[in-house]
Amino acid sequence: MNEGQDWIYTDIVKDHFMNPRNFLFGDEKKFKCDATGIVGNPICGDQMKMFIKVKDGKIEDIRWKTYGCASAIASTSALSELAKGKTLDDALKISAKDIDDYLGNLPKHKFHCSILGHDALKQAIENYRESA
Amino acid sequence: MTYLDYAATGPLLPEAIAAMREAEQKFFANASALHTPGHLAMNKIEETRELLAELINADPEEIIFTSGASESNNTVIRTFEGHEIITSPLEHHSVIEAAKALKGKKKPTLYSYMFANNEIGEFLPLKDIAKKAHENGDFIHSDLTQALGKIPLDVKALDLDYATFSAHKVGGPVGVGALYIRKGAPFKPLIIGGNQEKHRRGTTYNTPGIAGFGAALKYLKDHKTWEIYDTKVRELRDELAKRILAEIPGSSLNTELGREKSLPNILNASFEAAEGESIQLYLDAEGIVVSTGSACASGDIKPSHVLMAKTGDAEVAHSSIRFSFSPDNSMEDVEKVMAKLPGIIDRLQKISTIERKTK
Repeated sequence: MNEGQDWIYTDIVKDHFMNPRNFLFGDEKKFKCDATGIVGNPICGDQMKMFIKVKDGKIEDIRWKTYGCASAIASTSALSELAKGKTLDDALKISAKDIDDYLGNLPKHKFHCSILGHDALKQAIENYRESA
Repeated sequence: MTYLDYAATGPLLPEAIAAMREAEQKFFANASALHTPGHLAMNKIEETRELLAELINADPEEIIFTSGASESNNTVIRTFEGHEIITSPLEHHSVIEAAKALKGKKKPTLYSYMFANNEIGEFLPLKDIAKKAHENGDFIHSDLTQALGKIPLDVKALDLDYATFSAHKVGGPVGVGALYIRKGAPFKPLIIGGNQEKHRRGTTYNTPGIAGFGAALKYLKDHKTWEIYDTKVRELRDELAKRILAEIPGSSLNTELGREKSLPNILNASFEAAEGESIQLYLDAEGIVVSTGSACASGDIKPSHVLMAKTGDAEVAHSSIRFSFSPDNSMEDVEKVMAKLPGIIDRLQKISTIERKTK
């Protein structure tokens, strides 16, 4: 936990929670993408879906949706920032720890949220490679 | 700040603060001691005992003080170690977990059914259970933590053998509770090694805490708080419920309203496709304080067992928010919630992976 702060999460987590980057607002069809990946399930309280647009082997654009807690929203937002512009190989190398570092550390019991986003991206990239 | 988490805890009443300060300064002596300061401290403790006895229609001797509702619950369950213990699925973890660890097959059986649940506010069929228990020579305990001060209580009319109370849910301090033990009911102390509470609970009396509890109980009695809850607080709760259903698509209530159905101060609602912890924290950022049955909020992996028992639907449980009122709230608080909540839910629904099914 972040002792001494007035919020449960770090300022960076709060910023990504309050102002998430790259999320897909409303109808999914509005974003023309090349592949998607989805992990988690609402029964467990967390589900994430990644939408990627690929050009010249790079993630040209990325969007996401999530049903989840503040950490889930913040970590998916952070992941989308980290992945944007990266080659598919480099994007696959983004680890849950990278997301956690970027956000200035999630509470330990929230770490699984960043793993979920990372798995959704991996799945989207695999789906893209299978379809290409 | 719009504080709507009173069922979790609330601020100390000024009367309780004054009583605790007085006790710290004047009644600090060991209440078990025979000297005059000790005797004066014991008098403060007995005042609280008599007040609680009067409020719940018990004999003062049938009440002991504890460190809180969890200890009171644990004490009763442990008394029936090795016996059959039947609890409602809505009980607090201090009942459910203790029963799981200690129950056996011996008779008589202990039933533990709370009067009203803390997360959804709904009443349990306590009288029916008490009747059934006593017909078979069994015993019944009820956790009255949420009910005290919100509704008139009578342990004799409810036909209870044991009942649990907590100070901090009624404007008293955290760390003080009480247990009603009907005269003649079996009892085993949880804390052994002292003659305090007539050998029913060892450890030096917490005079300041009990004095604070007493001041809160006096406040309940003098203001007949259950009447304020029945009128003003009920009106706030019902208005919020009505407006949530009317103004937020995909909303549903987990609390059945009505005088016969639930406490007047608790409203639990779910918001389809929006996750509870996110709702809670977006509200928090707007200065609105509520709680949620979502797993994420507790650090657990499972959502609230109460919401699961009530709805049988994990998604509904994960998407639940509890609003709990006190007489300190006003219609302005309802307005503030309704100024922010619909926008928060709409946004979460629009970024959700789940599509909202209902209109």
